[in-house]
Amino acid sequence: MTQDVPVDSSLEGALSTALIAGRRFFTRATVSDDQRALFKQGGRSGDAFYRDRWSHDKVVRSTHGVNCTGSCSWKVYVKDGIITWEAQQTDYPSAGADRPDYEPRGCPRGAAFSWYTYSPTRIRYPYVRGVLLEMYREAKSRLGDPVLAWADIVEDPERAARYKKARGKGGLVRASWAEAAEIYAAATCHTIKRWGPDRIAGFSPIPAMSMVSHASGARWTSLLGGAMLSFYDWYADLPVASPQIFGDQTDVPESGDWWDAGYLIMWGSNIPVTRTPDAHWMTEARYRGQKVIVVAPDYADNVKFADEWLPAAPGTDAALAMAMGHVVLREFFVDDRVDYFTEYVKKYTDLPYLITLDEIAGESGTVYRPGKFLTAAELAGDSGTVEENAAFRPVLLDARTAEPFVPNGSLGHRFGETGAGRWNLDLGDVDPALTLYGAPTPDRAETSAVEVELPRFDVRGPDALLRRGVPVRRVAGRLVTTVLDLMLAQYGVGRPGLPGTFAAGYEDASAPYTPAWQESITGVPAGAVARIAREFAQNAADTRGRSMIIVGAGTNHWFHSDTIYRAMLMLTTITGCQGVNGGGWAHYVGQEKARPITGWAQLAFGLDWSRPPRQMIQTAYWYLHTDQFRYDNYDVEHLAAPNATGRFRGMGTADALALSARLGWMPSYPTFDRNPLDLADDAAASGLEPAEYVVRSLQDGSLRFACEDPDAPENFPRMLTMWRANLFGSSGKGNEYFLKHLLGTDSSVQARETPPDQRPTSLVWRDEAPEGKLDLLCTLDFRMTSSTILSDIVLPAATWYEKHDISTTDMHPFIHSFNPAINPPWQTKTDWDIFHTLAQTFAPLGAKHLGVRRDLVAAPLLHDSPEAMATPHGVVRDWRAGECDPVPGKTMPKLIVVERDYGAIADKMAALGPLMEKLGATTKAITYDVTREVEYLRGKIGVVRAPGSVTDGRPSLVKDIAAAETIMALSGTTNGHLATQGFETLEKRTGTQLADLAREHEGKRITFADTQAAPVPVITSPEWSGSETGGRRYSPFTINTERLKPWHTLTGRQHFYLDHDWIQELGEVLPVFKPPLDMTEIFGEPEIGSVGELGVTVRYLTPHNKWSIHSEYQDNLFMLSLSRGGQAIWMSDVDAAKVGIADNDWIEAVNRNGVVAARAIVSHRMPEGVVYMHHAQDRLIDVPRTETTGKRGGIHNSLTRIMLKPSHIIGGYAQLAFAFNYLGPTGNQRDEVTVIRKRTQPVRY
Amino acid sequence: MSLFLWVIFPYLCLAVFVVGHAWRYRYDAFGWTTRSSQLYEDRLLRLGSPLFHFGMLGVVGGHVIGLLIPRSWTDAVGIDEHRYHLGAVIGGLIAGVMALVGLAILVYRRRTVGPVFSATTAMDKVMYLVLTVVITLGMWNTIAGSTLNLGGEYDYREGVSVWYRSFLAFQPDASLMTQAPIGFKLHALAAFALFALWPFTRLVHVFSAPVGYLTRPYIVYRSRDVRPLGTSAARRGWERVGS
Repeated sequence: MTQDVPVDSSLEGALSTALIAGRRFFTRATVSDDQRALFKQGGRSGDAFYRDRWSHDKVVRSTHGVNCTGSCSWKVYVKDGIITWEAQQTDYPSAGADRPDYEPRGCPRGAAFSWYTYSPTRIRYPYVRGVLLEMYREAKSRLGDPVLAWADIVEDPERAARYKKARGKGGLVRASWAEAAEIYAAATCHTIKRWGPDRIAGFSPIPAMSMVSHASGARWTSLLGGAMLSFYDWYADLPVASPQIFGDQTDVPESGDWWDAGYLIMWGSNIPVTRTPDAHWMTEARYRGQKVIVVAPDYADNVKFADEWLPAAPGTDAALAMAMGHVVLREFFVDDRVDYFTEYVKKYTDLPYLITLDEIAGESGTVYRPGKFLTAAELAGDSGTVEENAAFRPVLLDARTAEPFVPNGSLGHRFGETGAGRWNLDLGDVDPALTLYGAPTPDRAETSAVEVELPRFDVRGPDALLRRGVPVRRVAGRLVTTVLDLMLAQYGVGRPGLPGTFAAGYEDASAPYTPAWQESITGVPAGAVARIAREFAQNAADTRGRSMIIVGAGTNHWFHSDTIYRAMLMLTTITGCQGVNGGGWAHYVGQEKARPITGWAQLAFGLDWSRPPRQMIQTAYWYLHTDQFRYDNYDVEHLAAPNATGRFRGMGTADALALSARLGWMPSYPTFDRNPLDLADDAAASGLEPAEYVVRSLQDGSLRFACEDPDAPENFPRMLTMWRANLFGSSGKGNEYFLKHLLGTDSSVQARETPPDQRPTSLVWRDEAPEGKLDLLCTLDFRMTSSTILSDIVLPAATWYEKHDISTTDMHPFIHSFNPAINPPWQTKTDWDIFHTLAQTFAPLGAKHLGVRRDLVAAPLLHDSPEAMATPHGVVRDWRAGECDPVPGKTMPKLIVVERDYGAIADKMAALGPLMEKLGATTKAITYDVTREVEYLRGKIGVVRAPGSVTDGRPSLVKDIAAAETIMALSGTTNGHLATQGFETLEKRTGTQLADLAREHEGKRITFADTQAAPVPVITSPEWSGSETGGRRYSPFTINTERLKPWHTLTGRQHFYLDHDWIQELGEVLPVFKPPLDMTEIFGEPEIGSVGELGVTVRYLTPHNKWSIHSEYQDNLFMLSLSRGGQAIWMSDVDAAKVGIADNDWIEAVNRNGVVAARAIVSHRMPEGVVYMHHAQDRLIDVPRTETTGKRGGIHNSLTRIMLKPSHIIGGYAQLAFAFNYLGPTGNQRDEVTVIRKRTQPVRY
Repeated sequence: MSLFLWVIFPYLCLAVFVVGHAWRYRYDAFGWTTRSSQLYEDRLLRLGSPLFHFGMLGVVGGHVIGLLIPRSWTDAVGIDEHRYHLGAVIGGLIAGVMALVGLAILVYRRRTVGPVFSATTAMDKVMYLVLTVVITLGMWNTIAGSTLNLGGEYDYREGVSVWYRSFLAFQPDASLMTQAPIGFKLHALAAFALFALWPFTRLVHVFSAPVGYLTRPYIVYRSRDVRPLGTSAARRGWERVGS
């Protein structure tokens, strides 16, 4: 049927109708009856331009490499051998039939990356600092040997100072690969011989998003005996609360699981800006009825997606969370009960566990202080029958019998014979008593209540101690209460009949931690807080745990972020949201999740050739080696609770570090004031066992820990190699101190050194602060950065579109690949090739100058091992003070001798070593037998043919693809056989069924070719805590909740309570609010808000940048064009008006640490009293000389300084024990303040 | 001298005009544009641009009548000298004033509006200068010669126009111009200079004015060409099938 389409004359009008109708007389083309369309024959020659513009020769899959959580797979287009542009891949695995897809993934930053390939800042050739190169050529021609030549230069103070002072002042000249590698190899050789291998450090962050590239240098450094520096804690991305609560580094849901949440709080995480490709899940879930709340101090981009916005003042998030916790406890645990919550916390948290109360005789009568977990050791009492690991088997009360009960699943069951088959959360018929309030007692007599003293930190002085009552009982002769009872006291939730002062109601502003109390601190209305807390918990009750909090850098980068996170995680844990799809915490800050972690770790740390590797906590490393400790003038006591015992009195942060190193809590490199190679020789010469020799030497004082005298030349770090990293433009808190003391070049340090009476007591103080400690700084990069311009050797690296590698993130459960769209252009090489080149250059020098040596490695007490039981009850005992004997591996570091064949390093790097079959591969206390995998690799990647060498017949790692295959073959997530084997091993310990989780994929093996074809979903493995079995979305701890597998903590449950001596001293046994550090009080900075002649004082925050984060950098021309361009500081219109600053004015920010010159972005989006200087703007684009010092201007970290929190360096005790990037002091930077003023001088460059 | 001014120079300019356009189209097809600044400012533009452009249409029309149509033709259709003169002066003045005022607004805008000024090239400035000179001289000729009778009586239809037609017919008679008043001479010379500049300025947009839009339906379909798409030849094994 045809219909006449009437011409709507109202649309065109008579004139246009006539005009178009007239056209037919002048053309052969047909005009349609409705006059809407014209049909022409041919005439497409104009298309040729567009056809040519978008034609290409090939499309290659790759992604963006160092730390992009998105890790989107991209199509890289190549035309005539030139990378032309990139576009989003669309072939992700499905997230399930009833939910959106992963695709679309990608953001403007990632789409701008291909600019770097041919950018003006691309590093095309090796560069060496000119003055150094001249010296080296001269010395080598004179001495004939590279190592002697290097020694000749660096041992001459005058020449050494000359090239160090030239750092950062231009003068990099081209060198050949051979020459650059030779200088590097000579320096390495000399440093090992003269000072020791632990004076060499390597730094490359975040392996997950290019594991092969990370492993390249890490393998090289580890095989040498150098120290790999941690990054997760250093970046302040590690939420220390995670080890504290979960005993897990960090495990979080994939973004697809946001869809499952019914209630979502974005708390300090600006999802649309920093997690752009995943933000769609959040927007889509709203259509499913999800309620979205945002907590952010500024009108951030994510606020516009939110149903409600809680603008809490910066750094006060814990106050808000505590008030929400108050409401949840009051309404869901006291006034009313929810069965789901009650059952959950009984089974999966430490709330029912018994805590002893310590009696203190005070002036106003007897009070009590929360003490330690009651354990089986106390129960045994004098009976003499002490069970195995009794001090690590905490106790709860069985509500049915009112008798103490030692549940399975604690740390004491995780190791040792009697724990086999009992490390699980199965409580049998036992019904744990959550509270002693009104609980039956065996003799119906002993229940009573006492007052406990609880510190608060929002006020100082006599009011800083709260006295609140808890119900108690006497068990095994000790007065005890439950963790829940203490929690209720801490949160101020009263119950009739208990002594002490509790909150009168939500409106009681005088009582912590009510909604009204928090309002005066956070500025958020009390009513809104109570309502949202209620909604959050009610949603969790209705959905059985589908309430989620996405947390981020905004809350995590504070000095006290561990307490902030504990207050927030209390909300998700007490409401039964952890271990539930759609619920719990979701922390996406920094990227820890190399899903094939076992294989990566073997490769990266050379565990196939020698163990243990040296792994260092980077924050402590730079705190000492950049001499920032020389400017710290406060006691750790300053951080202690008002009712502290005085343990920290007179203890500086550096003293705390020295103690931590001495007791084996945390690693410390360089370890001793002697070359560890010489130390091993000395031990051999003495005829003693090496460990015994060291212990004796330490005791008689002939040997000292290097960290007790960091300014002695023998204790300097001598060499630093960086790849995939930009320490001096991005992560180096206290940038000016780095420049001054580590590099010995110009700096803008404004601070004064600590006066004698405030200096650390256990350290040697040298009057002359050294400058230029580092002999060689070598950086591999594809672009010029703040770090390369300060480096002595710059090596040209391939970009992410020019190499083979693999990528995984915590945001999505699949693995995919990097592939070279073009070969590395000019003289660039992949990281893998570069380190092999360096190793091959080094090998002959190593053979000649070093040979085979024995290296004495001091290693800390490790998490996920029996060593975590070194400190019963977390009672600190210092062998130096005579409180215990020095026992390596128990009360001090392990001391292990490792053989190093320096002539064979290059061969070993290129072959998978024999320890794989001999010792297996261990992750989180599960050891995998990989004999079968090594045999498979022989066939897959080929073997080394080198008769007579140790590497003969070993799988060959010459190529980067071989490294990728090895990583995947040796990991459970990518090899179903290993996953199943690991679960079977674990079953023996837990006695529960687990292996079925992986059995569906037992025969599956993900190969590199698979990852090239499309992103491949990974396999459920005991390496992680969540399950993807059956294609479900990844959420952490689902194996724990569903299969009763314990958390890796003291109780095996999620911990609200921490009982280590130091935690008690800091007043942090329970979640608590600690305000941001008071820089006025500690360092004498002006008060926030004050306006003086120098400008206005504001809080200085360095959040992530919208225009440069994760997948590209600040210098990208496209992003510079889209943004303001150049260094900028965001400030509020109110602050700007105080000192006459207008938008785009040049301003200067000054504090004791340094100076920054930038432009002002004045916006009412910013709250008063706060400025943002976006992270990592580098010093390369539009950075003029400052008015204050006349030196070229400063980066965001010029105003920061390392602030080290002592609770982060606790070790050797249950979940508070070291593992690389699992626990360590954070390099936080949020508590800083600065003075801002308008620039008066014209800008000069 | 007169041979150079009225024969060689005009033909040179004409040659540059023709060859220049061909060159520009060949090598700068994507630069063939008005370089519109409407995005940066449109309040003044909305006033100045139509004034100028419609004024210029009148000016061009007047030149076509005055230069190309011989006097005998207008006489033949019965337009006597007085009526022709009246029409030419009134029409010319209106169109000229429109163009000149429009131009003044546009130049003012270009200088005072920051983004527009930033988008102004050196060639734009030269072009504006020459264009202003040409229009001003033309106005002067109309006013001085025809209205105020300054410099004596001169009928360009007997002199300049005849020379111009001889120039177009490639039989140039330079003597006709030597007798013309200085105003006409300068106007003609400046105009030829403008023609020589033309292909290298934004004036090329005159030849791509979108008049076709007046009669064009909304949607234009072009069927596929038989010729290969793009400029590269199809590779072996990748030849197109079907049509």
